[in-house]
Amino acid sequence: MSIDKTQELVLNMGPQHPSMHGLFRMVVHLEGETVTHIDPKLGYLHRGMEKLAESRTYSQFIPYTDRLDYLASPHNNWAYVQAVEKLMGVEIPERAEYLRIIFGELARIASHQVCIASTALDMAGWSAWSYAFRDRERICDMYEMTAGSRLTVNIMRIGGMSAEPPEEFWPALQSFLDDTPEMLEEYYGIFFGNEIAMGRLKNVGILTKEMAENLSITGPVLRASGVDFDVRKAEPYSIYDRFDFKVPVRTGCDSYDRTIIRMDEIVESIKIIKQAVRDIPGGPIMAKVPKVIKPPVGEVYHRVENPKGELGFYIVSDGTTKPSRLRIRPATFINLQMLPIVAKGWKIQDVVAIFATLDAVLGEVDK
Amino acid sequence: MENKKLSRYVDELAARVNGVVEESLGVLVLKVQAPYIIEVLRGAKEFPFVPCDFLHDLCGVDCGDHFEVVYQLSSLHGPQLLRVKAIVDRENPVIDSATPVWGGANYLEREAYDMFGIKFKGHPNLKRIYMWDDFEGYPLRKDYVTEPIEVRNIVRTRIEGE
Repeated sequence: MSIDKTQELVLNMGPQHPSMHGLFRMVVHLEGETVTHIDPKLGYLHRGMEKLAESRTYSQFIPYTDRLDYLASPHNNWAYVQAVEKLMGVEIPERAEYLRIIFGELARIASHQVCIASTALDMAGWSAWSYAFRDRERICDMYEMTAGSRLTVNIMRIGGMSAEPPEEFWPALQSFLDDTPEMLEEYYGIFFGNEIAMGRLKNVGILTKEMAENLSITGPVLRASGVDFDVRKAEPYSIYDRFDFKVPVRTGCDSYDRTIIRMDEIVESIKIIKQAVRDIPGGPIMAKVPKVIKPPVGEVYHRVENPKGELGFYIVSDGTTKPSRLRIRPATFINLQMLPIVAKGWKIQDVVAIFATLDAVLGEVDK
Repeated sequence: MENKKLSRYVDELAARVNGVVEESLGVLVLKVQAPYIIEVLRGAKEFPFVPCDFLHDLCGVDCGDHFEVVYQLSSLHGPQLLRVKAIVDRENPVIDSATPVWGGANYLEREAYDMFGIKFKGHPNLKRIYMWDDFEGYPLRKDYVTEPIEVRNIVRTRIEGE
C-alpha cells in the first residue's frame, strides 16, 4: 500500500512580508503545512559597514553604529566607543558612566517592548501591539529631549557622552519608572493572558541547552534555554559590578519562554535605572581626549550585552586615524542560525512564531 | 589565578602545534598555521577546569601578505577568553572548517568566505551570504577596487531561471 504524499511546495517569504521584521527573506520548503527545509537569504539590507569603517576616522564611525540594531542604538554606540576607549586606555568620568547605564537600560526596555509588541502582532494581536508601542514612545521622547533624535540616538562619544540630559528629563524618567509596574501588568493581561496567543507560543520551537551552546546563541534566547549567562555579570563592563540585579533564566526552551523572559529583563532594567538615578554623581561628562583619535598599534575585542544578544567589536589598529579592520559581531545574525534547525518539522504558522521570538533586527543581521 | 591556569594550558597547546602565544590587553592570543586549526580548537574546547568551549566570533582579517582567521573563544561557565589566529596563505586561502566542532561557525564562515574568499574545507554549504551569487571579487580584501559609479549604475541582467 502506498501512502499518498503531497507535492513539495516551495514558498518564498519576504523580503516584503509583515512578519519578516524588515528585509528578511526565506525560502520555505513545505510538505502540506509542515516545514521540511528553510533556506534563509540574507543581504537585502547589507550596507558594507565593515568596509565603510576602513575609510572613516574612529569618531566618524559612531553614527554608523546607530544603524546596526536601530531599536537599541545607545547599546551599539556603547560597544563601539568602549572598544576604542579600551584600545586607547581612556578613563571616562563617573557621571558619563552612569548616564550610559541609564540610556543603555532604557534602550533595553524599548527594545524588549518592541519585541513583545511585534510578537503579539505576528500572533495577530493588534491591541497588544499598540500598548507596548505607546509606552515605548515615552522612551523615545526622553531620547529626543537629550539628543534630538528618537531612533538613531548617537548619544555617546569616545570619552563620554555628547549631551547632558535637560532638566525635564529627570521628572519624565521618574514618572516612567513609576508607571512601569502598571505597564507590565497590562502586557501580562492583554498578551500573556491571551489563550490563543499562548497556544501558539507554548511548547513551540524547542531549542535545547546543548543546541544553543553549540550554535553560539547569546542573549535572552540563550537564557530562555536554561543557561545562566550574561556579560554584565560574567565580565562586567562599564560599572555594572556596582549594581544589584538578577539575571532572569527560564528553562522552557520554547517560544513562550523566549518572549516572557524579556518581561523579566524589563523588571531588572528598571531596578538598575532606579539605582543609577539614586547614585548618579555630578561632574563633567567628557574625559579629556585628543582632538584627533589615534589609538596605538594593537587590537581589541570588546563585547557588551545588547538587548538581543552579545554585540562585539573587534578593532585592529595600525596606528593611524582610521581602523585597519573593524569587525562587528552581530548578535541576531548568529542567533538566526537556529531558525532552519529549530523550525524543521513545525507548521508554517509556527515558523512565524519562532522567528518573532528571535527578535531579529535586519539592520544588525545584514550590517 | 584563572588566567595563570589558562596560560599554562595555552602554552602546552602551543608547544604541540608550533604556535606562538602573545598577550593583547589582557587576552591571550595563540597564533598557529592553518593546518593545525582543528587540533587547536578541539584542544581549547577540552582544557581541564578552564574550557574555552564557546565559539564567540569568527572573522577574517587581511594582513597584506597573508590572511588571518580570528576565532574568539570564551565560555558560558567562566570568565576565560582566548583568541586563536590561524595564518592562511593569500594565494591559496584554504583552511579546515570549524563546523564539526561548533555548529555556530556555519554562517560566520560563509561570511568570511563572502568577504575574503577564504575557503573552508568541509563546510556543509559554502556560499556567499550577503552578496549575490555571481558577485565578483571579495570586498573586504585590501586590494579590492570599488567599482566606479558608472559601472555600478548598470542594471544587472537577470540570468535565466533565477
